[in-house]
Amino acid sequence: MPTVVLMDVSLSMTRPVSLDGSEDFQRKNLAVHGLTMLFEHMAANYRLEFTSLVAFSSLWELLVPFTRDYNALQEALSNLEDYDKTCVESALHGVSNIVQQEWGSSCPCQVVLVTDGCLGIGKGSLRHSFHTLKQRGDDKKFPLPFPFPAKLFIMCVANAEELNMTDAMENLEELLHLNGGEGQIFTMDGPLCLKSVQTMFGKLIDQAYSPFHAVLHCGNLSSDVQVFPRPEPVVVDEEVEPMPRTVNTEVDEVGTGATDELEEEASASQMAGKSPNFCVLLHGSLKVEGMVALVQLGPDWYGMLYSQADSKKKSNLMMSLFEPGPEPLPWLGRISHLGPISEAAENPYGEDDSKSPFPVQPQIKRSYAQNVTVWIKASGLQTDVQKILRNARKLPDKTQTFYKELNRLRKAALAFGFWELLKGVADLLERECTLLPDSAHPDAAFQLSHAAQQLKLASTGDSQYAAFDHNIVPMHTDFSS
Amino acid sequence: MKMFSVSHKTAFVVDHCPYMAESSRQQVECDVLTKSRAQGVIPLAPVSKSLWTCAVECSMEYCRILYDVYPTNKLVNYIVSDSEFHILNSWRQEDQSTHELMAALAAVGPPNPREDPECCSILHGLVAAVESLCKITELQHEKRTALMDTAERVANRGRIICLTNAKSDTHVRMLEDCIQETILEQNKLAAGSDRLMAIQQCELVLVHIYPQGEDTLVSDRPKKEISPLLTSEVHSVRAGRHLATKLNILVQQHFDLASTTITNIPMKEEQHANTSANYDVELLHHRDAHLEFFKSGDLHMAGSTSRDSGLKETVTLKWCTPRTNSIELHYCTGAYRISPTDVNSRPSSCLTNFLLNGRSVLLEQPRKSGSKVISHMLSSHGGEIFLHVLNSTRSTLEDPPSISEGCGGRVTDYRITDFGEFMRENRLMPVSESAHDPSGKLPAERAKAQLERHTRYWPMIISQTTIFNMQAVVPLANLIVKETLTEEDVLTCQKTVYNLVDMERKNDPLPISTVGSRGKGPKRDEQYRIMWNELETLVKTHAGATDRHQRVLDCIVACRSKPPEEEERKKRGRKREDKEDRTEKNGSKDTDDKSWQDSDRLKGMLDKEEQESEVIKDSPDSPEPLNKKPRLSTDEVQPPERAKGPVSLLSLWTNRIAAANSRKHQEFAGRINSVNNKAELYQHLKDENGMEVHENGKASR
Repeated sequence: MPTVVLMDVSLSMTRPVSLDGSEDFQRKNLAVHGLTMLFEHMAANYRLEFTSLVAFSSLWELLVPFTRDYNALQEALSNLEDYDKTCVESALHGVSNIVQQEWGSSCPCQVVLVTDGCLGIGKGSLRHSFHTLKQRGDDKKFPLPFPFPAKLFIMCVANAEELNMTDAMENLEELLHLNGGEGQIFTMDGPLCLKSVQTMFGKLIDQAYSPFHAVLHCGNLSSDVQVFPRPEPVVVDEEVEPMPRTVNTEVDEVGTGATDELEEEASASQMAGKSPNFCVLLHGSLKVEGMVALVQLGPDWYGMLYSQADSKKKSNLMMSLFEPGPEPLPWLGRISHLGPISEAAENPYGEDDSKSPFPVQPQIKRSYAQNVTVWIKASGLQTDVQKILRNARKLPDKTQTFYKELNRLRKAALAFGFWELLKGVADLLERECTLLPDSAHPDAAFQLSHAAQQLKLASTGDSQYAAFDHNIVPMHTDFSS
Repeated sequence: MKMFSVSHKTAFVVDHCPYMAESSRQQVECDVLTKSRAQGVIPLAPVSKSLWTCAVECSMEYCRILYDVYPTNKLVNYIVSDSEFHILNSWRQEDQSTHELMAALAAVGPPNPREDPECCSILHGLVAAVESLCKITELQHEKRTALMDTAERVANRGRIICLTNAKSDTHVRMLEDCIQETILEQNKLAAGSDRLMAIQQCELVLVHIYPQGEDTLVSDRPKKEISPLLTSEVHSVRAGRHLATKLNILVQQHFDLASTTITNIPMKEEQHANTSANYDVELLHHRDAHLEFFKSGDLHMAGSTSRDSGLKETVTLKWCTPRTNSIELHYCTGAYRISPTDVNSRPSSCLTNFLLNGRSVLLEQPRKSGSKVISHMLSSHGGEIFLHVLNSTRSTLEDPPSISEGCGGRVTDYRITDFGEFMRENRLMPVSESAHDPSGKLPAERAKAQLERHTRYWPMIISQTTIFNMQAVVPLANLIVKETLTEEDVLTCQKTVYNLVDMERKNDPLPISTVGSRGKGPKRDEQYRIMWNELETLVKTHAGATDRHQRVLDCIVACRSKPPEEEERKKRGRKREDKEDRTEKNGSKDTDDKSWQDSDRLKGMLDKEEQESEVIKDSPDSPEPLNKKPRLSTDEVQPPERAKGPVSLLSLWTNRIAAANSRKHQEFAGRINSVNNKAELYQHLKDENGMEVHENGKASR
């Protein structure tokens, strides 16, 4: 997931850290040292992640847009200049805009705010922001919580005691609270020196930038894999099972299905020689066969593996995670009820792959897949009546369609208790009977008066004639003799 | 939405008292006369729906949308009230369909206007609804049993939608009080029962329906709390169109739905087939499909418009005519079921049929800036239409590295085609829930077990295997991985083995890989030895399964050519050699370009093989004559190392290093082409002792 590093370049960051002169550093130098460590770690273990660098004081500036080029980030870091006072709110607005413009509002991000805990003075200070929090209109809302899922890591180049002497810690905690508690505040232990800043950034790396290693199994074949971006735990329905679901590091391949869809959150999983590796074999075969492999990530949590190619003809093995649950894709049915085709008497894919047991059809068709009757709008009712009349004029050729439409109308009218309509349509059919031209087939008149009579009987509600499942059948006539 | 929110259970209570038989006074002309026929024909008087008909069809529409978007776990219990209550269905999943409800409603019929109004009341139905909400649903039962220790987490909430004609605001208050009392009573009862649950939260939605042209006697009232258990809201609505709109809004509010209008759908005109006009179709779906709009505040830009009551909003997306029907993969972040608002209008059914026939439609989000962004896709799976949300911003997955840059990416002889075949054999199919397996294993477990069996011996690269490169082995290799074998299967396997024996006798060449080994590779008899070893390895991993699997192994052991060392041992009977053989084999395996793991496995296998061949050796079944030929050839061309006897650790080591080094450089072209050079090299080896193979090789360069 992308990271925005938000670096405080206000004047207070230039304060020297030690007075005894053993280490002649400013707080800024320590911060840069810590960030260098973070960038080096990411370059080595997270090189597929995007990071951007924003510097802020009373204004903010995007120094490096989202990139995988850690040298560029490093270079920008070494060319930082010093500006005026700290203004956190406007900087967070900046972060919010930068992220939304680049990734939209559904991509989760990590924001690393590096500051010395001096949160500004007067207007624009964080204290001032919080004081005015409740008196704001919709157009001047505080930027937290971000519109995208975000974790806020606050790296303080200061120790906890120092922050507690003022209301700085309180304000930073409030900031975290406004972000829905997502994130953490890190402070330095002991004297401010290179070592303690390393320890602090080391904690951040362990917390938020540890690589995700897993083992992919397919029966007895297996491969070590690293997954980018790191799959984060998911909490499903906080009501019944509020346990966060985490991806098991032992990933089981359940089997393969010839599906051609990509659904849900996608996360690239990049598999890092010369000795054969199962991932390469799997990728090659998935690509050639155009298949996807189903993977189990935990109890009732599944995903799929497939070959993903970009425009440059490079391809890699991708893993998409489905929403946790026993039936993530309705058209596959329950995943636990997918069995091997060898159990079937006949290959459900056909000998020449001409068919497929998928998609699984729902037991009851959706309304738009059945011929439902809705008369909410007058036009719906008019259309249905006209359809019957149109067919009535083409009797006996259209006998089947005529009765089919008639029975559909009859069923709906009975269900809606709309007996008046049954009488009305019966009258219409009788009128049609009188309007039949001389050339009409004699059967037409018989069928019309038979249908009219049956509708009238149904409209009495008499259980013998008004049963829902009963159908009016064509009158049996024989004109051959 | 929580699993057991008030939306899990909806009780519809519809008034069936005599006054509901009154006309809604909204008239429908259903006799549309065409001009040519109009003369002399008296048109049929327009029909009008009763209040009952209006209430029923609007409630059915509510259910239709609900079932389309949530086919499971959002349940409706339909109750009709007159002089008593009539419960038309249960909470059970199989009772949840509009067809079931329509059949039950037909049996009830319209209200009887001649019934004594004094005996009739909506109260009967409301009391029944409260009782019904206490009844446990299948999902509640399932979750309670699944979470024994945390069963109290399963909540019991519900909603009552009451469609009635109330007399006054006082009457409404009386109804609310009555429901409140009934909840308290029923909760007491529920405490002592397994099949009942106390109601934790109940939401009453009372819809007062009155005929067109009359003034309402009941006032609208937003949701208010009657007690911690009960909230109530009142909607006073005119029958007909207004009622339909109201219930459409309610179903959206109750089930977190949102509306999307697909605009600019080109459609052939019915009358003029060669022209087409553009139509709009409105769809309802879960509101998360608009999440990106809500969050980014793009909702207005996306073309949101307010209509009718001002409550109803829809997002307009533009139809993009599909260029091809090719399957394109899009970054899709969610798929949501849809329900058309106007299901049987012609534009709706044209769109849904188009999608049900397997076509997909991309939808474009109109933006103020004029830039085009494809934000959604409509497509069906298994007879259900889904609105797919596509990622329209930059993807964090862009520009991934090629897999060839990673581990094992440089290996070029993966058995890609074979693994493709393997995947085809291990494909999955849906197995009906009722099909019970005697082993008690779920189908997915059985699929995993099959994967395990099929991969017990599965070399990943071509140069690592001989048998899987041989057509002759296929019948056996396909059968041996089966869980059980028939007599016929065993016979086929045995035939395969005899066939291999026959090939060996005829000295047919084998597809032994020469990758990594210099020159022509191993000699023919060595090739067969490698092949037999590999075949034995494969079958051994399955021999334990059944007696029949064991018989296939027995057949191989009995028929295969004996390793030359065994022949020698037979002759000399020297036990000392065992150790040397083993170490030598390790060395030679390395030059065959096996991984350490493989050589370890082979070592173990050969150890076993030696033990077993001891047993077979004395067996009268052992077909001695077959061994004669290989033995002859063995005598002729002995592997160089063998000739010398004991091998020192140093020579083993140098052999290994030299073999490893030889793989790191390309062979000299001259040496590959020159036949003489090679012959001389080997000649050289034979003259001196085999141990200096590679040192000599280097010297000759």
